[in-house]
Amino acid sequence: MKQIAASIMWTCASLAVIAADDPKQLKDLTAVIALQGQPCGEVVSYVAQADNDFIATCKDGNRYRVHVKDGRVVVEKK
Amino acid sequence: MPLARRILAVVALVAGCGVVAPPPPPPARTAEAAAPQTAEPARKEVTPAPAPKTAERVAPKAPEPSKAAAPLKAPPKAAAPSAPATAPPPVAARAAAPPLDLKSLEQRLKDTDAIGVLTKLSLKNQVDDLIAHFRAFHEGQRPPTLSQLRPAFELLLMKLLSLLQDHDAKLANDINASREAIWGVLTDPKKLAQYL
Repeated sequence: MKQIAASIMWTCASLAVIAADDPKQLKDLTAVIALQGQPCGEVVSYVAQADNDFIATCKDGNRYRVHVKDGRVVVEKK
Repeated sequence: MPLARRILAVVALVAGCGVVAPPPPPPARTAEAAAPQTAEPARKEVTPAPAPKTAERVAPKAPEPSKAAAPLKAPPKAAAPSAPATAPPPVAARAAAPPLDLKSLEQRLKDTDAIGVLTKLSLKNQVDDLIAHFRAFHEGQRPPTLSQLRPAFELLLMKLLSLLQDHDAKLANDINASREAIWGVLTDPKKLAQYL
């Protein structure tokens, strides 16, 4: 059981790393945060929490939750 | 006769000395002058040297201006055709502007890969907000005056163009060319109603 749990954790972690390296998603999140007028500069990494729900980490250290609620993109400072 | 010969010989000698004498002195003078005036010849050599240099400098300068003159003459010729070349595009843009189709632009925005999904949704949210402000304006509500709505419209357009210009320059240009037409639709309630 421990081995299975460890392999699942490893798979999830590797998927998260792969997702965080997707340059399109990084650009998308960067653009969204900029469109909302929030300071960021550039998103350097992110974690996908769910569909259209991300925690983005900016180059300047700011972290934002970017998600869709009622058809609107919401950017919340963490 | 011997006297005459002697006289002639003396005369010849005197004349010969007179003739021969002058040549030697000049070499002697030049030698004398050269010896004591070693510094002067050096000065003289220095002074003549600059002269040729200046001559050389003048010579290259002469061609340079001519070369410079040639390019200078060329650019105006190139500039002259470029000016007419640049002039037509605005005409073409103006010609392209009238057949504005907002729906096709909207579809192209949806289809473009230059903007991510979340960014498109965020832009749509902002466009909807701006249209809501225009609708309020057309319903007679104030504050949103046209002078207040114009900067918001320009800002949103700038955001859109900045997102598009690097990866979908054609769409960015088309939207930019349609700027006034879009503004015309937004400020006319009848035209705006057609798109809502």
